[in-house]
This record gives sequence, structure tokens and C-alpha cells, in this order.
Amino acid sequence: MRQYAVRRAFTVVPVLLGVSILVFGFIHLIPGDPALTMLGERATPQKVAEVRQRLGLDKPIYQQYLIYLGRVVRGDLGISIVRGDPVARDLLRRFPATVELATSAILLALALGVPIGIVSAVWRNSMIDSASRVWALVGVSMPIFWLGVMLAWVFGVQLGWLPTGFRLDSATDFRPWSNFVILDALLQRNWEAFGDAARHLVLPAVALATIPLAVIARMTRASMLEVLSRDYIRTAEAKGLPQVAVILRHALRNALLPVMTVVGLQIGRLLAGAILTETIFSWPGIGLWVYEAIESRDYAIVQGASLFIAVIFVTVNLVTDLLYAVADPRIKYD
Amino acid sequence: MRLTRVMLVVAVALLLGGAGPALAQTFVWGNQGEPVQLDPAVITDGISARITHQIYDTLVKYKGSTTEIEPGLAEKWEASADATVWTLSLRKNVKFHDGEPLDAKAVVWNMERWWKSNHPQHENQVKAGQTFEYWEGQFEGFDDKSIVSKIEAVDTHTVRVTLKRPQAPFLANLGIFAFGIASPKAVEKAGTEYGKSPVGTGAFKFVEWKPNQEVVLEANPDYWGAKPKVKRVVVRNIKDNSQRLAALKAGEIHAMEGLNPDDVKVVKADQNLQLILRPTNTTGYIAFNYKVKELQDKRVRQAFAHAVNKKAIVEAFYGGTGLVAKEFQPPSLWGYNKDLKEYDYSPEKARDLLKQAGFPNGLTEITWEDGKKEPFVFWYMSRSRPYFPAPKEIAEAMAADLAKVGIKGQLQTAEWAVYLDKRKNGQLPVYMLGWTGDNGDPDNFLCYFFCSPGASREAFYSNKPLADLLQRASTLTSQSERARLYRQAEQMLHDDVGRLFIANNQPPIALSKKVKGFVANPTGNEYFNTITLQ
Repeated sequence: MRQYAVRRAFTVVPVLLGVSILVFGFIHLIPGDPALTMLGERATPQKVAEVRQRLGLDKPIYQQYLIYLGRVVRGDLGISIVRGDPVARDLLRRFPATVELATSAILLALALGVPIGIVSAVWRNSMIDSASRVWALVGVSMPIFWLGVMLAWVFGVQLGWLPTGFRLDSATDFRPWSNFVILDALLQRNWEAFGDAARHLVLPAVALATIPLAVIARMTRASMLEVLSRDYIRTAEAKGLPQVAVILRHALRNALLPVMTVVGLQIGRLLAGAILTETIFSWPGIGLWVYEAIESRDYAIVQGASLFIAVIFVTVNLVTDLLYAVADPRIKYD
Repeated sequence: MRLTRVMLVVAVALLLGGAGPALAQTFVWGNQGEPVQLDPAVITDGISARITHQIYDTLVKYKGSTTEIEPGLAEKWEASADATVWTLSLRKNVKFHDGEPLDAKAVVWNMERWWKSNHPQHENQVKAGQTFEYWEGQFEGFDDKSIVSKIEAVDTHTVRVTLKRPQAPFLANLGIFAFGIASPKAVEKAGTEYGKSPVGTGAFKFVEWKPNQEVVLEANPDYWGAKPKVKRVVVRNIKDNSQRLAALKAGEIHAMEGLNPDDVKVVKADQNLQLILRPTNTTGYIAFNYKVKELQDKRVRQAFAHAVNKKAIVEAFYGGTGLVAKEFQPPSLWGYNKDLKEYDYSPEKARDLLKQAGFPNGLTEITWEDGKKEPFVFWYMSRSRPYFPAPKEIAEAMAADLAKVGIKGQLQTAEWAVYLDKRKNGQLPVYMLGWTGDNGDPDNFLCYFFCSPGASREAFYSNKPLADLLQRASTLTSQSERARLYRQAEQMLHDDVGRLFIANNQPPIALSKKVKGFVANPTGNEYFNTITLQ
């Protein structure tokens, strides 16, 4: 087991190296001189040359990459081209907002998806099952930006129940310690701020949770169905155990293993989905930040954030794999 | 079961409690993105300028909804007979937000910071990767390159600026947001971080910048001019156009710009909202590359002018915010020529002119100066800009108009940076582009492009008499005399069809009905001290 963990952990290195090359390469493949794009139609040639030099764009590309890699290894993700601020610092400052959003979304997806999956499996082909199947199909194929805009229009504009964006009202008097606003409000026992932050979280979290919710519900259903047909379930039923006990204690525990993997994968997807969701709801996390950076061609930010997201993605997958091995002792790794 | 119900009630209470944000006395502007910096001297983007404009004053200002000059921090001014020495008298008893006095010394300090590359706070900024682009652009560079040769404090409240030669738009330049006067002490204290804690003399003081969210300002009770009528200003960063409108409709913000063209109707139909069109300061045009032999023939250019149905284009693609352009300057500028007579839309005349020019069967091929022949290609922009909100659709309409008279070509585009690159290198025979004014001075439109004949800045157009006239206009100080020359220049440009001007756009601003006193200005920057909330 330990050997497997070590070996599995080592596979991360080439993956990340590959990602760094891709991230670096992609941006340089975009047509157009980045300096000119940044400066716009009024740029003088001297100015363009100046900016190219400042960005190191005058060096051969492999040199640019090596310089870049050397800095990254030391934790320096560069300086934002537009703002001049260190990318790593801003990344850490904005990350909590994204974590808060993504965590709420995944919890919401689990809290609803697992029960829906169980119910669908137990009452297979019932009304509930059909409804959840339709919902899953719709949920998976619904574009987040469309859903987000609709949610904001219905619940924000038409009904006026919830704010259409941001984490807090400007009028709310609150100084967060970290950037985890909900957590800080709880810790400071500032209930007004907590309520305000919670209200702001609802729509983006719902928008972001839709796809994982559908996926988790389907996965739980399929996995439950498989488990429910096993002999030990029949044995349990034959013993005369109440159905609830059979389902929750015997079936669910085993059925949740594959769901765990799916959740791991979904976390990675959530970060990508966060770019759209954050843009739509003006949520000040890394998604919105990256979106703005792409628009203004702030290379350093796009590179830094992409690499960071890749690291998170790879780490989450690693942890999921390891947890899986721990949770299911039947699986042998060698 | 009971527990669930209690939790449900709590949750609903949390969600609904406190709905409807307390906005009274706080004016909230929905901005299109995150500001770059709040030091106006080093920024060039409208998003940041929107905020710095509230914090700083410039020496002169643009009056109301025009680009006429009115006193700002300078109460009055005087130019020497040869228009090279400008004496500016500063307003007395003005203080920066940090309590420092505004005097001649402070103004000279600011100007030297912009101008001299060895000024410590200039050097500092350059090291951090920033430059003073507006100074470079408007005052022809730094140090010895600049048109400015001396800046001095004559006494506590008088500043004298000496120029190497006359510069007609000198005052208009000083009114640009970039030349907001900052507290020297605050800049020195903060160094390169100054852009995060700005200190000016403006109607609003900086309070806080929450990254990626909003910038908070509060009213400056000691403001020398019209005192603000709201207590606070919050400038919120809402990137997405639809979302910004949703926030406006939900009452979370009071005003915004950057409406999707289709949403103009939505705003007009909403009883709680009002729509203001900002006086236009932008012109979209078709440029002719004069390295193409066919285009050197004026009759061919005239054919273009008669072939394109501008009115139909403006009606179809500008969502009710566009104007037909007949000259380069937009109508909001004081050099605009009201009397200029537009080319009428007439495919027959166009065909006729082409025939006269020797193309009875139309024009499908072009010849470059070096003799190389190519199929005719009409280039359009891949990116929406204020002057061409829907470039592809507009290009298609124009191409259809041109095809009708026999000018048939491929439509082609390129990614924005590539497009600009190709244009700069003179690789585009006929293409769409536009211009947005910087300082409300006609010089900024006309001289920028046409003062140096045959220059590569745009399409190698060469018109010596026009260039001479514009250069003369740029050395005068009498506005009425200059206006006369610019009107004449527009006529010359028109007669020669140096370019074909298509449309002016008036950017729409959507506001809550509660907002009164918002005065839209062509420069794109408004002061919030005139605003009241009802």
C-alpha cells in the first residue's frame, strides 16, 4: 500500500511538467503579437519593442520557458503584466472565494445527489426515478452561463429574493480576517454578515452544483442498483432486517465507493466551471480573475492560474485514488 | 421532522432577511471590470479612469456635456502672443485629501514627474513596468523630446509652462483624466504602491479597494467646487454585460455603461430605468490604402462613397444609438463642419464613376504599387469596438452594397492584434477601423492622422495642402480661428474622399430613475458630484 502511494505520487511529476509546457505553449500559439494586442491600435513601434523586451518576448521560446520554469519552482509565478502585482500573492488572496464557492457547490451536489440517487435506485422506474433521470440529462447538458443568467434574472431581478452577484452588500459592515467570508462571519459571530454572505452564495452555488449534482445522482443510482442485486443484500433482506437498514447500512456504504471517484473528478471540473460562474455572478475568486486576465492578455496571470488549477486537479485525483485504496481493502495494488 | 422544519424556516429567514440593500446616500456604479491602478498618470483604461476621475482634479476641465474648456484647479490662464508661454493661476485654499495644500510647487512636482524620466517617482514607476503614456502621447515624449521646455512655479499660486513651439490643444490636453494632480507627499510615501491608495483634491476621497469587487469612495466635505450630494460612491466590478444589467434591474447598482446593443430596448421598456446617450466622440470609417493603384484614383473612392448605404447600416446595427458620420470629427467637437454636404447614396452614380475611372465591368482585382495583382479583399475587424459594434454584420452589409455597383471582393478578418499588425504594415487594401477622441480637440482627430502626408500611421494618404492647413491650425490659440480651419480641413478631406466615414456611436448609459443630475460627457468620464438620489 505504501509502495503504491509513493509510486502513485511520483506519476504526478511528469504530468505537471507536461501541463507547464502546455500552459506555456498554448498562450504563445495564440496569433498576434501580445505586446501589440496589449497596447492596442495607437501603439508606436518603439513602445511595442519596449514591452516585448520587458516581457522577455525577444528571447527564443525555449529560453523563455526555462526561465519561467525556474521561477515557478521557486514559487514565483511572475508579475501581472497589467497591474504589476505578484501573481502568486493575488492567487492566494483570491483562492478562498473560489474554495468557498466550490465547496458549497460540491456539498450541495452531494446532499441532494446521493439521496436522489438512492431513491431512484430503490424505486426504479417510478415517477421519481424518471424525473431524476430527465433532470440529470438536462443538468448535464445545461450551459452554466445560461443557467446562471436565468437564475439571476428569476430570483434576483424578477422576484428580488437574492442578490445577483458579489459576496456581500456594500452596506454590510464586515471585516473578514481571511478571505473565507462565511467562515470568518461564523467565527466572529457576526450573524448579519453571515446571513448576507449566505444569501450571496446561494445562486452561484446552485448554478455551479447543477452538473455535479446530476452526475452524482446518476452515479449513485447505477452503483446502488448494482449493489442491491448482490447476494449479501438478499441475505440481509432474508434475515428480516428493515429495508432502511439494508439500504443505508449495507448497500450505500459499498455503493458510495465509485461515487467518491466521481466526486474527485467533479472537483476538478468545478474549478473550470467556476470561471463561468464567477464571471456571471461577479464572484471575486480566481475564475473571474483568470477571465479578466485572458481578456487583457495578462500572460503571467493566465499561466500562473492555469498551473495552479492543474496542481489542484492532480492533487485531488491523487488523494481520491489513495482514499479509494484505503476505503476498499479488497483492492490490491502492486 | 420538526428539526427539519425549523432548519427550513431558519434557512428561508436567512435568505430573505435583509433583502433589498441599503443604498440610500450611496451611489453605486457598475463598472465593466477591475481597475488597473488608481494613479491616473500611468493608466490608459476607461475602467480605472472612471474612478480616478472622482478622486482627482485636473488643471482645466471639460464643461458639462461638451469638450469646451472650463477652469479646474487653474482658475484662469494666459498665453503669450506666440502661444509658447502659458501662465496658469491656481485656485487658492484648495487642499489634498491628506491635508496638504495645493500650490504651484505641488503642480510643478506633478508635471515634472510626468515629464522627466529622472524624477524619482517617474523612475520608480518605470522600474515597476509602468509608463506615463498619456504624457508621452500628448506632449510628444519625455525630457528633451517633449514639446515642453520648462515648468516653473512663479509664486505660490502661479505656474508657468514654456513650450518649444506652439501647441494648440495644450489646454485641452491638460483636461485629460491622466493629468489629475496628486498629492506629492502621498506619492512619495507610497512609491509604486501609490496606485492603491490615491490622494487627490477631487469631490470624493478614496476609502477602500476590495480586489476584484469594488472601490469605495466617500464625499469630500471640503471640496472647492460643487459639493457632492451623495455620501458615498461605490464602483462595483461587474464584468458581464447581461449580469450588470441584471444588477441594475435588481436595484443593486444605480448606473452602468456597456449595454449589449439588444438591451437598449430592454432599458427603454423598463419603467424604473432611464437611458442616456453619451455625446459621441468616436467615428468608424473605411480606410483606403494609397499603395493600391486603383484606390489612388479619386473617382474610385467617390464610387465607394456613393455605393455604401450608411443610413441603412446605422439603422440596422446600432440599436438606435448611432449617427450617420459625414466627416471625421464627431458632432460633439467644436471643429465640426455642420455645413458639409454628404455624398448621397446612389448606386447609379457609383457605377458611373467606376466606368469613368476605367472599370466598366466593376472592380474585382487590385494592383499594388510594385505591380503585384491580387483579388480585391475587404477587411473587417474581428472585434466589436464602440464605433463598429457589430463589425462582421456591418462589413457584410457594406460588401453587399459595394457588390451592387460592381466592387466585388472577399470579406476577410484576422484576430485583433494580427489585424492591427497588418494594417500597420500596409497589407490591407481597404479596411474598417475607427477612432475615439482623447481630449475633445479636433487636432486629436485630424492632425493625428493627416499632419504628416504619406505617413504609414494609416494607409499612406498624402494630402499636402491638408497637412499644411492642419499644422497651421495646431499653432494657433484662438479657438474660433482654429474652428474655421478645421471646418475647412474636413471639407478638403471630404472632397478628396481621403477616407470614408461611416458612423458615430453614442454609447448608451443605463441608470435607475432615482438618479438625477448625471451629465454625460463625450470624453467618457463624468463627475459624480452632480448626482442626486431620490
